[in-house]
Amino acid sequence: MQKSFRYIIGLILVMIMIMACDKDEPEPDSCPMPSTEVHFDLAKWPFQKLSDYRFFIDTISHLKPNDGVLPYDVITPLFSDYAKKKRFIWMPDGRSANYVNDYTVLNFPEGTVMIKNFYYDHVLPDNKTKLVETRLIYLKNGEWEFADYVWNEAQTEAYFDLDGSYQTIVWMDDAGASHEVNYRIPSEVECYTCHKFNEYATPIGPKPQNLNKAISYSTGLKNQLDKWIEMGYLTPSLPNNIETVADWTDVNESIQNRWRAYVDMNCGHCHKEGSHCDYRSLRLAWNETTNPDHLGICVTPEEPLVAQLTHIIARSNVNRSMMYYRLNTAEEQYRMPLFGRTVIHQEAVTLLNEYINSLNPTCP
Amino acid sequence: MKKSISLLFVVVLSLATTAQDNCTSAIDIVPGTYVVDQVNGAEPPTIICAGANLAAFGEWYRYTPDNDYYITVSSNVANVTPVDTRLHIYTGNCGALQCAGGDDDSGPGYSSIASLNVVAGTTYYFAWDSYWTAAGFSFTLTVAPPLVNLLDFVPMSSTVGAQAVIDMNGDYLDDMVAYDGNNGLQIAYQQTNGTFDTQTRPIADGVSHSPSWSICGGDLDGNGFNDLLFAGGGGASFIWSNADGTMYNELSDENYIFCQRSNMVDMNADGMLDAFVCHDVAPNVWYMNNGTQFFDWNQGGMGDTPDGGNYGSVWIDYDNDCDIDLFIAKCRGGDSPANINQMHRNNGDGTYTEVGAEIGLADNVQTWSSAWADYDNDGDMDVVVGASSFANGGHKVMINDGNGFFTDQTASSGFDVNPNLSIEWAPGDFNNDGWVDVMGGGQILINNGDLTFTPTQVAFSAGPIGDLNEDGFLDVVTGGTRYMNVPNGNHYIKLNMQGTVSNRNGIGARVTLYTPSGEQIRDVRSGEGFRYMSSLNVHFGLGMDEQISKITVCWPSGVTDEILNPQIDQTLLIVEGQNEVGTDERKTSSLQVLPNPAQHQLAIFGARIIQTIEAFDVSGRRINLPQQQSNTFSVEHLLPGIYFIRVMTDEGIQTLSFIKE
Repeated sequence: MQKSFRYIIGLILVMIMIMACDKDEPEPDSCPMPSTEVHFDLAKWPFQKLSDYRFFIDTISHLKPNDGVLPYDVITPLFSDYAKKKRFIWMPDGRSANYVNDYTVLNFPEGTVMIKNFYYDHVLPDNKTKLVETRLIYLKNGEWEFADYVWNEAQTEAYFDLDGSYQTIVWMDDAGASHEVNYRIPSEVECYTCHKFNEYATPIGPKPQNLNKAISYSTGLKNQLDKWIEMGYLTPSLPNNIETVADWTDVNESIQNRWRAYVDMNCGHCHKEGSHCDYRSLRLAWNETTNPDHLGICVTPEEPLVAQLTHIIARSNVNRSMMYYRLNTAEEQYRMPLFGRTVIHQEAVTLLNEYINSLNPTCP
Repeated sequence: MKKSISLLFVVVLSLATTAQDNCTSAIDIVPGTYVVDQVNGAEPPTIICAGANLAAFGEWYRYTPDNDYYITVSSNVANVTPVDTRLHIYTGNCGALQCAGGDDDSGPGYSSIASLNVVAGTTYYFAWDSYWTAAGFSFTLTVAPPLVNLLDFVPMSSTVGAQAVIDMNGDYLDDMVAYDGNNGLQIAYQQTNGTFDTQTRPIADGVSHSPSWSICGGDLDGNGFNDLLFAGGGGASFIWSNADGTMYNELSDENYIFCQRSNMVDMNADGMLDAFVCHDVAPNVWYMNNGTQFFDWNQGGMGDTPDGGNYGSVWIDYDNDCDIDLFIAKCRGGDSPANINQMHRNNGDGTYTEVGAEIGLADNVQTWSSAWADYDNDGDMDVVVGASSFANGGHKVMINDGNGFFTDQTASSGFDVNPNLSIEWAPGDFNNDGWVDVMGGGQILINNGDLTFTPTQVAFSAGPIGDLNEDGFLDVVTGGTRYMNVPNGNHYIKLNMQGTVSNRNGIGARVTLYTPSGEQIRDVRSGEGFRYMSSLNVHFGLGMDEQISKITVCWPSGVTDEILNPQIDQTLLIVEGQNEVGTDERKTSSLQVLPNPAQHQLAIFGARIIQTIEAFDVSGRRINLPQQQSNTFSVEHLLPGIYFIRVMTDEGIQTLSFIKE
């Protein structure tokens, strides 16, 4: 009788303690948090090790998401020297993001974190997959903060490092050709240079225009926005129609829309109203490129870098197009984007070539 | 009868007045006088070539010259009361107009007078607007023979696509230098016969950062051969010369810098050159020379905007106190305060204070470089802040009042109607007339001597400037072409600077030239404009003056030299201390050497704590001064002559001189 009484008291006490731990205001020293969930302790973020967050379960390098860590994808991604990416998002219990408009980052709640893992397949000499870095952006005290974790050779852990560094990576493509890249892991100032809008740090990817597609979840195929609503991550007040970016690789889309989508994700964060370089007339965000002037078509460059480049995009004339010149080079002082790539994105250059040649007539 | 005639008159008049109400219906004119009844056309000019802000109404005219001319459009017509008009002149066509000229208030009564060279067969649009008033006015179009090119450059091929024009083999002749992209320096050494001898010099230890954003040079270790700094997108590489300029080795650190303009300069007046590097996205960085090849990294205190915006740094003495200050041309989008230009004033003790707002230079115009010179030859440094984008306003001509405060005198300067943007703006007296001109945007803006500048087209947009054939005229090299300035009969003098107590290049020295025409000044600088390294030699045009009464040099050490009556049309070597007339008062206000001249011993008097002293002879050789008591030193062993003592106190460094007799 006494034993079961003590047992019941014990159970009640444990339940009280568990209930007393409001997940939104954790007190780690006094509350025994269930130790399998994401380690949400915003005051202590960023942790020194990626595993401290418990975003991933089992073998960490397999990137198997924990409860609430939701994979997501963007329709047209940023080019990062051919690195592949696995993206996830997590929000604290009971909180959700709100829709602003199609082309603006969702209004996320405190404690939201986005996780972006960069890796290469077929890395030589072992021909294995290699995780390079995992970048976080999280909302703390109303401001977005950055963290970066560099993976060790053994792929057992990634360690906090915002000082920036280089890694030489040799990888093989699907055709068996090998490529060498002097991969740049960014420092904090580099994160901020792109991830900002009117002086405030901001995510870039998670806008409805980039998310509005179906991806394969463990439960099956589902539209991401619907999935986020189902997860309680997005309040269900979306318009019926969302102005969505094209998939730049989709040959069924017009070349113009494919190019617009590419420049939105690769250039728009610096070349739009309110951004790093808005003193130039280029406006490359998806919602601004319905106007051809904003794309630079027949616009004279303000900086005469190379004499024969008469226009940013010279219709039908690739050799006189400043945009093509900047895309088709790896020279530091000419290449665009300025950060984030050190090699030429050959497929994008091909698409731009096609696009410029599809435009008529030649510029006056 | 009368009624129908007047009706007809009215109809004709109204036809005449609607005909120029918009661009596409612009009325074709020829040289002559025209009357505009009212400025009430529905389409105002929207591209502004003169002044700022849009007006409500416009009147449009069109002119296609049958020959090349120098035309003048003026609303200041004889016997007509002038009206406050505004005029924009374009080429191109309606919907795709480009400014070619224009004017707001050049004429009396704020009337407009605009002149420009026009090309036969090209159509020019004249658009008047109602910004100041819609009142009617008259204007004339007159033609004259085209203005002869104020400058002539002959293009010649260059073996080196030079990024730097700087002496690399110790003979003071400007050589052309480029990084070959493969751990080598390509150098075209200028020979005394005007030809070039091109060599590739290997750079040992591999180059981590190429000079993709800027390059600067100077003699960092004072061994007589200039070293270089490569400023790249990820960091900076020091390129050190060996003992005779035949081999180089590279040194760099792990620090991330998104470099922009870089300069070599002695920031703390210790006689050794340091390296300053603008950081695009973080506070500026500098490397302090500690006597070894491993300089001390510093960040913070020289432009601390957290997200940078630092593009065009240039070191000049703006407040005429013979120590070097730092101006930073800044740029940034998104309404960021990172685009506000800064002036870091040297406090004389190795520290700097940002005073841009106080002196009138805290402008948010989007600029990557500015051209500093004494444009009105009144003895102080002025600046042309050249815009890289018109998003936050246009080019600015800021004139120093002599007390280090600047006023905007852009109106009517020619820069107010200059439609060209550039990241590169650099000063130089290109026609040797004794007035410093400005290079930028595919033009050289010739200084007319009255704070107006006349643009002349040149075939190059930017490049390092120097004298590539020792003819005393400034040349420019860009890409694989060197543009050789054709002499025009004006006189000149050039100076090779050799510091002894100060850094060997004399970077930071203020040079003043006195001629019958007046005074000209130069500050010796490493790193001008945005990307390139221009010659360290000092160049003065003399116009038609045939004599120079004197040249004075205030070196960074405070030593002041005076050369009387130097010969014109030649290059003169000036060695610090060899023509010494004293040490700049501001640098030695508190310390004294007594007795002076001294025979056996001397003492240094002053209230400060003496930490170290170094002594030199006139050729910069260190000499030993045996210490007898706390501030007394023996000079018994010295040969008669002039000597310098550099004293480090708790408040900074001061240089004194004494004579041993």
